[in-house]
Amino acid sequence: MYAYDTYDHAMVNARVAEFRDQVDRRMKGELTEEEFRPLRLMNGLYLQLHAYMLRVAIPYGTLSADQMRKLAHVARRYDKGYGHFTTRQNIQYNWPKLSETPDILQELADVEMHAIQTSGNCIRNVTTDQFAGAAADEVADPRPYAELIRQWSTFHPEFSFLPRKFKIAITGAAQDRAAVKWHDIGLVLKKNETGEIGFEVLAGGGMGRTPVIAKSMRDFLPVPDMLSYLEAMLRVYNEQGRRDNKYKARIKILIDAMGIEEYTRQVNAEWEKIRHVPIDVPEKEVARIKAFFAPPPLAVSADDVAEVTELANANFIFKAWLNNNAGAHKVPGHAHVTISLKPHGGIPGDASDAQMDLVADLADAYSQGEIRVSHEQNLILPHVAKKDLPALWAKLDEAGLGTANAGLLTDIIACPGLDYCALANTRSIPIAQSITERFDDLKRLMDIGPLKIKISGCINSCGHHHAGHIGILGVDRRGDENYQLLLGGSGAEDASKAAILGPGFNEVGIVDAVEKVVAVYLGEREDEESFLNAYRRLGPDVFKEAVYGTD
Amino acid sequence: MAKKITGPQLILANRLDDGRAVFLTASGTWSNTAADSAVAENEAELDTLMTVAQAADLANLVVSVTPVAADTSGDAIAPAHIKFAMQARGPSVRADLGYQVSPNWEQ
Repeated sequence: MYAYDTYDHAMVNARVAEFRDQVDRRMKGELTEEEFRPLRLMNGLYLQLHAYMLRVAIPYGTLSADQMRKLAHVARRYDKGYGHFTTRQNIQYNWPKLSETPDILQELADVEMHAIQTSGNCIRNVTTDQFAGAAADEVADPRPYAELIRQWSTFHPEFSFLPRKFKIAITGAAQDRAAVKWHDIGLVLKKNETGEIGFEVLAGGGMGRTPVIAKSMRDFLPVPDMLSYLEAMLRVYNEQGRRDNKYKARIKILIDAMGIEEYTRQVNAEWEKIRHVPIDVPEKEVARIKAFFAPPPLAVSADDVAEVTELANANFIFKAWLNNNAGAHKVPGHAHVTISLKPHGGIPGDASDAQMDLVADLADAYSQGEIRVSHEQNLILPHVAKKDLPALWAKLDEAGLGTANAGLLTDIIACPGLDYCALANTRSIPIAQSITERFDDLKRLMDIGPLKIKISGCINSCGHHHAGHIGILGVDRRGDENYQLLLGGSGAEDASKAAILGPGFNEVGIVDAVEKVVAVYLGEREDEESFLNAYRRLGPDVFKEAVYGTD
Repeated sequence: MAKKITGPQLILANRLDDGRAVFLTASGTWSNTAADSAVAENEAELDTLMTVAQAADLANLVVSVTPVAADTSGDAIAPAHIKFAMQARGPSVRADLGYQVSPNWEQ
């Protein structure tokens, strides 16, 4: 993992001291709310329905066990004993007091964490594959590049007041687990014909009220050119993105207006001007960063472990967990393990302080002290020896963290919705809970297979409904919560926009509608065909007929 | 002058120091209980309440002062819209948190 140097420590500590002074001045009335609001937002502090909300950055979703313990401590001491892991691989606390926020930030700074640039019209937390550095299918570990982008973008003076917020995702594997095509900029690590590593560069993706899938603008950008090229991309956007209308200010709107060819031409022209000035990082510094992400010393061992097979044969739930939550590691004899934060009837992405402490202890015991957060709101132990899987599962299961549903229908993304969020139109969490209660039979879930449901409580799309195989969007219909059903989206390498099926439902009707859609799939699927492939083959009509009838 | 209103209104805000939702009372104080809300039946009354509320904003007691439609049909006054009713109760998915536990749930 990356470790702060003296500059990092000094910068973050200085920011905490600065914010402490700003809070003090606000409490004394020396700053008005109008003056203070942008300052608190720059430190990740929002005002929501019931309280302030603090969003803490987890850079590219990577945490040490000690950092997780600190997150648990913050939840216990300053909040209500829990935190919420988000689709940007961050954590949010729902009840912090303004006056205590500087103390929280100082505690976080002590373990090399902060809340800088988790809000505002700046470059937000760079997200990546939650299995980075562990996945068997990756070309290269994307985290050193994510860290370089983090350093380049943090406090970047030119890009601190962009037309709108800006999100970058990077994946090191062809199988896209980071939803890169739904980002303002997506980077896909690949090898060219000579074996050199570089990036396919995509731009102009995004969700919100205008969902757009990013377009490819460069097939291969050599790694050493990454930062200067990003700088050119941001500069063109910063200069030409609209500032007159916040709903038209994202880069997707600019690229749609000028066309990807013209945007690429302007970026390339800008890049030619700047590519030889020292923006890109010298190879020696890149090597220093990469060394922080050196593979852990895992001993190669056999993939077949007798005690794992025996337990799987004897215990169906463990077998399901093994199939769904443990994935192929690049080092034989190991697995990456997804800890589901989606217990049936639970709140997607929430973890209690005790659960966070347990995950930290299990990371120390079984995963080289490393933890990841996925954009699908789960936690990951990236480096687990297969022989340890039975013991790990038993401990997780005892703490309510052993749900064997990773990648299945009940592994639902849901935004906080109207239960917490000041922007929401409807609640999201209760819909997720109702669906997981309706589909609570693990055998049935495994028969249904991979199916991603994503729920947003408003058009801002924090719950990624546009990318759901089944998406649900909450809308305010004359003061009542109403839920639209969308089908056919994907956040993976085959990204697609989900389409609205028809009129919306109330909170009971939407769950019935999901069940009808799943029934159509089970009746119509061919062989091992997934839900998404079946929908793409069948089209919406057969689903529409089942959900709305033929009248 | 206040905006034209079509029904009774109450005033909702968040306390500055901890962000908790609070409701303006007829005596000009802020309560944790929506039922304690002063209700404006017309624009003039809303003007009066907003003047009091904005003074509290200027005095750094509250932020995000918002007039919202009040439901006066039941036993207790409550915000009419679900969004603001949620602020009066707390998260529906955590019955152990918020004013739904008690008005003084954090003491």
